[in-house]
Amino acid sequence: MTPKEVLGDLRKKFKDDIVEILGERSKKVYIEIRPDSIVQVASYIFKDLKARFNTASGVDLRYHMEILYHFLIEDINLLISLRVKLQKPKLEIDSLVPVFEGANWIEREMHEILGINFKGHPDLKRLLLPDDWPEGVYPLRRDYKEWDKNAIRDRGV
Amino acid sequence: MSIKLKALLKSPWVFHLSTGSCNNCDIEILDCLTPRFDIERFGMLLVGSIKHADVLLITGSGNRKSMERAKRLYEQIPKPCLVVAVGECALSRGMFIHSYNCPLPIDKVIPVDVYIPGCPPKPEAIIAGVVKLIEKVKKGTAKK
Repeated sequence: MTPKEVLGDLRKKFKDDIVEILGERSKKVYIEIRPDSIVQVASYIFKDLKARFNTASGVDLRYHMEILYHFLIEDINLLISLRVKLQKPKLEIDSLVPVFEGANWIEREMHEILGINFKGHPDLKRLLLPDDWPEGVYPLRRDYKEWDKNAIRDRGV
Repeated sequence: MSIKLKALLKSPWVFHLSTGSCNNCDIEILDCLTPRFDIERFGMLLVGSIKHADVLLITGSGNRKSMERAKRLYEQIPKPCLVVAVGECALSRGMFIHSYNCPLPIDKVIPVDVYIPGCPPKPEAIIAGVVKLIEKVKKGTAKK
């Protein structure tokens, strides 16, 4: 299969789920899909196209949150990034852990840092933040405010 | 100068602690041990356990989780001991001063004797800092 065939196949199979495909002629393709069809599309790419799940990344873009799931099909050297836009304030998406275990920790990290709720995750607890971090404070959100009264933010000169 | 400090200056053994640094300072510290700079001629040696050390050498910006560990290590080091902060991050957190994870500079948590600035400091700067530390101890003005 060539990258062109893979993308044509995806477009035919998931007509209603794909919003748009960007960068079709390069080795790095961005496919924007609707949030509720992430499990279908991701499991097709992972299981049927034999792609490797690299990682996922989340970012707060003021009006919506964006998650990118990066998959690499090594035989044809094609990097597929599934882009999902979550409208605020309803930050919920289906977890991919039932499909592949590799999504477990990165979903926990996105949950603690951005406050995205992954439905169906087996154990959605904190990954890296310290234990005394307050509940409901998400450090990489745009509206994050300093909560620690003891913090010193000047260099003392 | 007490006999303990005199013995300490003869061969200050160093424990190297990274509290979340980018590894550049750590690489420069290892450079000091190579034949080109060779700080072993001053009797300095990197040791693997804090209980063998006389000098605690800290790099990195000191984030919330690692400073808990740093405090615990400082309690375990045999006293009298000396603390050296290497690199801009260990001095004032550098570019991470507004980070949610770095609330305090290291010297608000642990008493620091010598500050070696630079990003990363050259091995010459680290050696110069250590020479200043030794002078400070000889004069008796170190915090111990």
